[in-house]
Order: sequence, then C-alpha cells, then structure tokens
Amino acid sequence: MNILVLLKMVPDVVEELKIGDDFKSLDRDWLRFILSESDEHALEQAIILKEKYGGTVTAVAPDAPELDDALYSALAKGADRAFKIIGEWDIYRSPGLAKVFSRFIEINNIMGEQTLILSGSQAIDDLEGEIVYYLAEFLGLPGCCVVTSVQYNPDSNCITLLKEFSGGLRGEFELSLPAVIGIQAAENPPRYIPIAKIRNIMKTQKIEEIEIPVEGIPNGLTIEKLFEPEVTDRAEILEGTPEEVARKLVEIFSDKGII
Amino acid sequence: MDPVYIDIIGIPANAILWGITIISLIFFFRRSFKIVGILQKARQESRFDNIPHRIKNFVKYVLLQQKLFNEKSIGLPHFLFFWGFVFYAITFWWNLFRGLYPFTKIPFADEVPIVGFVLEVSGVLVLVSIIIAVARRLFFRPEHLQKSRDAGIILSLITILMLTLILGQGFKSTQEVSAWSPVGAQVAMIFGSMEFSQASSLYILMWWIHIVAVLFFLAYIPYSKHLHLLTSPVNAFLLNDEVPQSLDIKNATEEIKQGSSNWNEFTWKQIFQTLTCAECGRCDRVCPSLNSGLKLSPRSILHEMKFNLYDTAFKKVDAATYEKKLIGDYISEEELWQCTTCMACMERCAVLNEHLTSIVQMRRYLVGQGNIESSLQDMLQKLTRYGNSFGQSDRNRAKWITGLDFKLKDARKEDVEYLWVTGDYAAFDVRVTGLTRATAQIFNKAGLDFGILYEAEKNSGNDVRRIGEEGLFEFLKDKNKQAFDKAKFRSIVTTDPHTYNTIKNEYHLNGVNGSNCNSIKVFHYTEVIDELIKTKKLNIKKKLNLTATYHDPCYLGRYNGIYEQPRSIIKALGVKLIEMPRNRNTSYCCGAGGGRIWMEDKTQIKERPSENRIKEAVALKGVNTFVVACPKDIAMFSDAIKTTGQEERLITKDIAELVLEAVS
Repeated sequence: MNILVLLKMVPDVVEELKIGDDFKSLDRDWLRFILSESDEHALEQAIILKEKYGGTVTAVAPDAPELDDALYSALAKGADRAFKIIGEWDIYRSPGLAKVFSRFIEINNIMGEQTLILSGSQAIDDLEGEIVYYLAEFLGLPGCCVVTSVQYNPDSNCITLLKEFSGGLRGEFELSLPAVIGIQAAENPPRYIPIAKIRNIMKTQKIEEIEIPVEGIPNGLTIEKLFEPEVTDRAEILEGTPEEVARKLVEIFSDKGII
Repeated sequence: MDPVYIDIIGIPANAILWGITIISLIFFFRRSFKIVGILQKARQESRFDNIPHRIKNFVKYVLLQQKLFNEKSIGLPHFLFFWGFVFYAITFWWNLFRGLYPFTKIPFADEVPIVGFVLEVSGVLVLVSIIIAVARRLFFRPEHLQKSRDAGIILSLITILMLTLILGQGFKSTQEVSAWSPVGAQVAMIFGSMEFSQASSLYILMWWIHIVAVLFFLAYIPYSKHLHLLTSPVNAFLLNDEVPQSLDIKNATEEIKQGSSNWNEFTWKQIFQTLTCAECGRCDRVCPSLNSGLKLSPRSILHEMKFNLYDTAFKKVDAATYEKKLIGDYISEEELWQCTTCMACMERCAVLNEHLTSIVQMRRYLVGQGNIESSLQDMLQKLTRYGNSFGQSDRNRAKWITGLDFKLKDARKEDVEYLWVTGDYAAFDVRVTGLTRATAQIFNKAGLDFGILYEAEKNSGNDVRRIGEEGLFEFLKDKNKQAFDKAKFRSIVTTDPHTYNTIKNEYHLNGVNGSNCNSIKVFHYTEVIDELIKTKKLNIKKKLNLTATYHDPCYLGRYNGIYEQPRSIIKALGVKLIEMPRNRNTSYCCGAGGGRIWMEDKTQIKERPSENRIKEAVALKGVNTFVVACPKDIAMFSDAIKTTGQEERLITKDIAELVLEAVS
C-alpha cells in the first residue's frame, strides 16, 4: 500500500492565545504550534497499516513553526519520507490547503492504484473536517471522514472503514483505492518515540523541501474579525445555605414574573 | 595419628586425597572460568578506580560485616560464620597442603596448640550460631525469607565441619589432655577412657569426613547461592558509592543508554551481582511496592536475571533467540514499572547489590520499544514539549510568585548568590505553591540573595531518568544547563529533593571530578534554612507548641544523607519531635518516586505506601503534625490522611510552613 498522510500544524492551546493587532489573526509572538491531534492519529493509523500490510508511508505538511520536530517524529515513528511544502500558509483555510495538497500529489505523481490518503478528520481550525472532502473532490476520489478503523483487503484492493455517527451509531463502509479518509482515532493511541531515537533520525534522515505554485489557490473563508467571547454581567452566583439560596431563587423568579 | 599415612581399602590415603582434591578443584575452576567468560561478554563498566576507597568499603562491609547487623537476630551469628569461615579456610588449606605433601613433616593446624584452641572456640561459637540460624529459619522465619534447599545443605555442611572438628579434638583428648584443648577435654569426658587405636581411628575418620566435606563444599559453592561466599566480598570492593544517586555508568559505551533485555546487554557488574545474592530477603522486607501487595520483589528481579543467565549463557544458548524472554517470561513489565526507586533495597542489601541500575536498564529497553503505559507516555510528551510534567505553558512557571510582597530576582538578568530551582511540583501544583511562597518569604526575611530562572527552568529530569527515558533526561539537563550558564550565581538551592539529587549528582556542574573549575554548591532548602537559623540570620520569634514526627524523603535521606538538618530546624522551632520507628535510612517511601506518581495502579493495591506510613505516624502518642520536606510528599500524604480517615488526628505540614509561622 502506498500511504500518504497529510499533516498540519495548529496553534497550541496550552499557551495563552492572544488576538493580534489586526483583529483578524492570533498574535504570533504568543503562539506555539503543535501537530493537530487528529493528524497525530492519522499518522499512527498510517504506520499501523504499513506494519500490517506493508508498503510505504509518506508524510506531507505545509510549512509552519515547529513543523520540523513533527516531521522528524513522523520519520522516527516509521514514515519513509517526509515532505515540507515551503511557503506562507497561515491565510489558507481548508479548501485552500486541500488544493495545495492536491497540487503536491499531482506534481509528484504520487497517485497509484493502491494509494490511500489519510488526514485527521478535523482540526481546531477546521472543526467541520472540510479538508478531506475538498481533497477527495479535487482528486476525483471517494472520501470518508470520522473514521476509527481501517482494514485493507489486497485481493479486492478495497478498504473497510468504521465511521462514527452521533448518538453512538457506527457505520461500516467499503471504498476501493485510491481514496481519501479522515481519521478520528487510530486503532491504538499514538505511540511514544524516545527522544534519543528522534535525535538519531535528525542526524540520519532528511526532510525533503518542496515548492508548489500558489496561483489559483483559493484561501477559502476570509476572517473579518477575531474576538474573544463577550463578557456579560447577567450571571449571578447565589450564596448561602440551601434554604437561603432557595428563598433568593424564589424571589428572583417572582420579580421577573416567572412564577 | 597421621591420617594420611594409612591405606584405605588398600589404596594409600595420600593418593585418595590427591584424587578428590583434583576432582573438587576441577569442578570449582570449571564453573569459575565459565562465570568469568560470561562476564567478559557483557558490556563494559569501570569499577577499579579509586582503589583506596574500595579497600575502605571492603573493610567496612566485608571484614566488619556492617550491613549484616541491620537485622539484629542474624547479625552476630553471621559475623561469627564469616570469621569462622575465614579461619577455617586458612587452616583447611594448611591441612590440605600437609595432607598432600606429608613428607614436609609440618604439623597439622590443630596440632599447633594455639591454632587448635582458636579452632575449638570458634567451632563452638559457629555451632551456636547455626542453632540460631536454623531456629530463625524454622521458627522465627522473617517474611520473604524463602525456603531453600541450598540453605539446608549449607547449614548441614557447616554443622558437619564443626562437629567433626570438635569430635576429632575430643578423640585426641582422650589420650592426652592439653590446656589448649578445653573443648576437646570436655568432649573426651563424655567418651571416657578409650583405647589408643580406637581413639586414633575415630580421630582419623573425623579428619577425613571434615576434609571431604570441605572439598565437596568447594566444588558445590559455585553452583549454589553460596557463591556469595566468594562473590560478595568482590561485590563490596566493586561498590560505587555514587550509585544510584547518579545513574551514570563509568566508561560504558553509548549503547548502554538503549537499555537491556538480554544478559549480554547489561554491564558485567550488573551480571556479576546476580551471582552475589544470598537470598536473605532483606530487600523484599523493606520494599514499599512489594509490601503494598504489588508484584515487584527486588530479590526476584536479580534472581530471575540469574535464572535467565543459567538458562542461556551457562548453556551457551543465544538469549536473543531463546524461547523465554528475560522481560516478559522471567520478569514482567509490570514489576519493572512498580519500582519507586526509593533505594530501600540497596540500603538494606547485605552484599551491596545495586538493584536499581538493573531495573532502570530494563525500563530503558521498554521505553526504547515505546512500550509504556499511556499516562506515562502523556507525561513524557508534556515534559518534552513544555519542560514540565503539568503540561502547562513555560510562561506559567513563575505564576506562583503572584501575591509575594517583594520582587523576586530574575537570575537571568541579575547576579544572585543562590539560584533557586523549585522543580515542577513547587511551581505548578496548587496544593504546594503556597509553601513555595512561604519558602520565598523565609529567604527574603533572612536577607538571602536569591533569584529564580522564571520560564527558563525546566523539569530537572531526575524521575525521567529513572523511568528510563535517558534521551529526554539529557535533553532536559542540557536545557537547564544552558539556562544555568546564562545566569550568574554561586550556589543552587532546590525545593524538591528529586531535583536536588539529579542536579547535585548527575548534572556535573563542576565538571566530572571538578574538571571545569566551577565551584557551584547544591543545597536543599532545609540545609539553607538550617544554616540561616544557626547563623542567626533567621530569628525564631515564636516557639511552636506542636508534637510532630518527620518523614525523611528518600531522595534527601537515603540518597543524599541529609537527615539532621531538617531535624535541627524542627527542634529549633520548639517542636517536640517524636521519631517514627522507620526513620532516617530506614524511612518508608511515600510511593511517588521513579515516575510512580505519574502511573496508574493496574494491580489491586493492598495498602498504599503513603497510607502505611500515615498509620505508622498515627500510632505515635501525641503526634498531630506530619512534617515533610518534599513537595511530592505534601501531595501524597495529604491524600493518604484523607483515605485513611485521619483528618481529625493528623495534618501534613512542610518544614517551610512551620518555619514561616515561627519567624513571623
């Protein structure tokens, strides 16, 4: 199997997020970037598939701060190649990034009969998980998101997927390769790679840098204004013994004409 | 009465003696050479530096048997066994030589009056010791002392040796009474008068039983647990006093950091020590994990390593392809993760084994395989990314200073005398940050010139290293050392004993053996406060009317020998200090060390070590305060007080809290 994992760096919400002076983006001085959590799972699932069925894993990501660490870590986990797409990508939302990835795939002539493209099923800046469907559309391939299990049948060159629905329902799907899928959770939690191994990979393997033409790539939605949730003063905390609180509550309700 | 100038079933006795001596020595040396050959195939480690110090250790632990006395009932008997053994060994070679070369005409050892006298007296003492040892095994068996066929064989052999000697002396004394043979004279009285020929043949019989038993013993030793007779004195000589305070392995190759899963991936010392274990069970009796009902037994870790060695190396079977794996079949992963690295086993071990280094070696292997539980994995990832185990932003590290009414110096920008490294718990844990502020106020009141590194400080890596993530330890150490390099200070003071240990013993701030000419001293805050009180820089304004007990943190006490400073502070505050039965080097671990604080208990635990400890404290009459000197202890023991339902009875307090109360 020829597996391609699309990765993306997102702002690390452990750090304090501050809105920039333009009120349209986050203040970069305060930002740190981390690999999107479900991309982490997509990578793990890719490695698991490689271990089970053989083949190669290629990791690709648009450039971002701290990306190198994430790509070296992917190589240490078992990816065979890691690509960094050079450029400034912050202004591009999922539809744009999907275009970037599809160009990357076309330029490098990666598509084959047994190609499976994996990505995270969502990211903190793409809760709808648009990227998978846009990419599937651009490449003219079947797509499926919120996947929690992938099995491959080499004889029929099909994959069997489990997709989660709300309300605890699950659906089983069968897609023929090539296909694009979005991983919600890998079969196993992402593995731990000792630091020594990552450091060793840094010495022995290289991240391949690649440029792609940017003209004609839509940036998707444009942010008009970024703001923190507005603070309202409508909440009041009632204090005292349960009896006192109950009495106050009744008073408020009767003042407002509710009872 | 010359036992070798006779014929036994028609063969000259001298020839028979030659025969069995050669057979015995063949058995002995065959096994010994095999062991040496195996050790040569293991990984390298330097254990022959600083010879004078090693000789000192040899005197202390071998000749004086210091560690044996940590268990009173068997201390003196073993001391007598040892010296009896030494003495008997010398006279054995003497007698053997005389027996093999009878024409030399030198007397037998027992024929020299003074030697005979000492042999008799020590023989009786050893017999008494045997009775104690047997009684201990049969009637007063300490927990975790395994029933062992080996022990039975060896005690019987020693009994035979002593009895044959004493009876032989007795038979001799029936013919000629000597003032140098008081025991022999007593025994002779039992026998009454005896024909010379009868006494003579009985004496000769005893001589032969004795010498054959010893030769059997000699051949048997290297195949039994009593190999410790030969190996443990060497082990004491090989002791590195800085282990496990430092897990650095001198002159080891880089690959040692990848851990060990087969015998030949351990250092020769780690292999050698499995052959020194005398199976006394001391380590098991003090192990907080085993005594909490968990599976780990330090004894069986070394033991199983030895069995693996027997099944593979001794049989020339390739360990890597052998059907049973050291980790998995002999030792379970679970056991390896249950170690709190409290060092109680090592402190207790009579033959100076270093259980911890082997456990960490195997943990390193598991980490290398990515084989770690998810909560621990999560923690290691947080440490890698944020430099703290709380997964918080670097920028929050100094958040705890909010509320202080003075400015804390930034050691990156201003020179300070003391660089204060708080460690993660003191900086991030909401249960502890108040105490960190208290320490800051104390330092400030005493006019100490100190500062912190703010977000440049990272987790020190002490526990990371003990988890077996060597690469991450080095990464954190490098980051901290870079930050230290940018700051100007003369000493380091730490809050967390774990931080204290690694910075003091593993960071090598002054180079290895002071090679880079720095003279940075590392202190725990209790050392600094004790000094401030003694030099009157800190004035006790109010005597505290408390009755308290003090818990020695493992990494402060056993690891670094800081026992008295905390006690001296507590006493200076006017607190009545009552010791728990397990204090100082026998202190009982809270269960948090070695990364345990980040792991989930999968096995049903009988009683947490911290709960056991709280019960020990509650049993002390009048004690209402449980004083600690480690931020992790605050977390562990305040929980344990709740789970044991002792909230009314006992409260956990950090020394800093008490000091601040007394100086305000």
